[in-house]
Amino acid sequence: MTTTRYADEVVCRPRSGNLYDVLELILDRGMVIDVFVRVSLVGIEILKIDARIVVASVDTYLRFAEACNRLDLEADTRSTTVPEMFGGAAARSLGKRKVKKSAETLGGTLRKAVTGGEDEEEEEETRPRRRTTARTSPRRRSKE
Amino acid sequence: MTGRGIYIYGFVRAAHRLPADSVGVGAPACVPRILRQGSVAAVVSGAPADLRARRRDLLAHQNLLLGLSDAGPLLPMRFGTVASDEDAVRRELAVREAGLLETLDRLAGMIEANLKAMPSGDGLARLVREDARIRRLRDDARRRPGYEADIRLGEAVARALSQRAAGQARRVLAELTPHAVATCPGADVPGCVMNVSFLVGREGYSSFVSVVNRFADRCGDLVDLRLTGPLPCYSFVAPEAHMARVDG
Repeated sequence: MTTTRYADEVVCRPRSGNLYDVLELILDRGMVIDVFVRVSLVGIEILKIDARIVVASVDTYLRFAEACNRLDLEADTRSTTVPEMFGGAAARSLGKRKVKKSAETLGGTLRKAVTGGEDEEEEEETRPRRRTTARTSPRRRSKE
Repeated sequence: MTGRGIYIYGFVRAAHRLPADSVGVGAPACVPRILRQGSVAAVVSGAPADLRARRRDLLAHQNLLLGLSDAGPLLPMRFGTVASDEDAVRRELAVREAGLLETLDRLAGMIEANLKAMPSGDGLARLVREDARIRRLRDDARRRPGYEADIRLGEAVARALSQRAAGQARRVLAELTPHAVATCPGADVPGCVMNVSFLVGREGYSSFVSVVNRFADRCGDLVDLRLTGPLPCYSFVAPEAHMARVDG
């Protein structure tokens, strides 16, 4: 029942290996019993910042501005998207899927941050995302 | 490599069975087992000596909990909880038996669904058409192109898209709340205008999903929604989650 696939919908299956959307639930929710210790989660705070889209960034503003300037409101009465934003949505129907994909990209960032890149078994899955990871991470770090 | 200590995944009723081929945290993976005490039990394994929040460990924690919650109510522990030894776990089980049972009963047949709402980049043309201030900034940026003008325009666009998304997020929350037994606001997540978890009956989950999908179809150019579920009831194990119960 848990593995039901909702293709083309906004639903994300928890078993799909995409940690991005549940990370704060696994780390910050769940039962706590004070007599038990919790392992040191060194690096988690950085990881949480690093793994997420920073909307309020100069980079985003410039992309929005560029998309705005390219808009031809007369020619296009339907919808124009912001390229590259959240991974670049191309059409409304595709938009949601693209957003998911960008979250997976961040999942990749997260994976890298969490593991220090030592999880070879998922290397293949991660490869296409590396470009985005490389592009966004240093900028974000430099802001800290 | 197993270090000292017992890793705790969650609490279940004593009759709960482990799913076949359950895998725990660590590499090589620790083998989970059930530690029973009276009418409750803890799902535990050895604790890896170098346990950190690695992707595979987070997934192992999450996947074991998902498997367990298919077979009956479960109280998920926060990731990374380690007890000194089995006796310490049994002692806590004994002391907390009544409370644990009560919470297990409350969560029986329930799942958690987490909804995150983000600004949608799809509604840009609509925003520029509808928002006079942004149109003006856009005209400025076209007349006198430059970095400053672009930043002003882009910042106004980002803020307006966020506001639109937040408005839609409040609407979808209002639509969904009657379909949930309880709601629990999640942590602030950068990039999200809303992050809420819902406690939903397993039986009602598919209609809950339909409500979200219908909303997304209607308002997808104003807000992007991501629903994750069914999840273990991470956000509803605490007593305050009980207080957030929605009546009627």
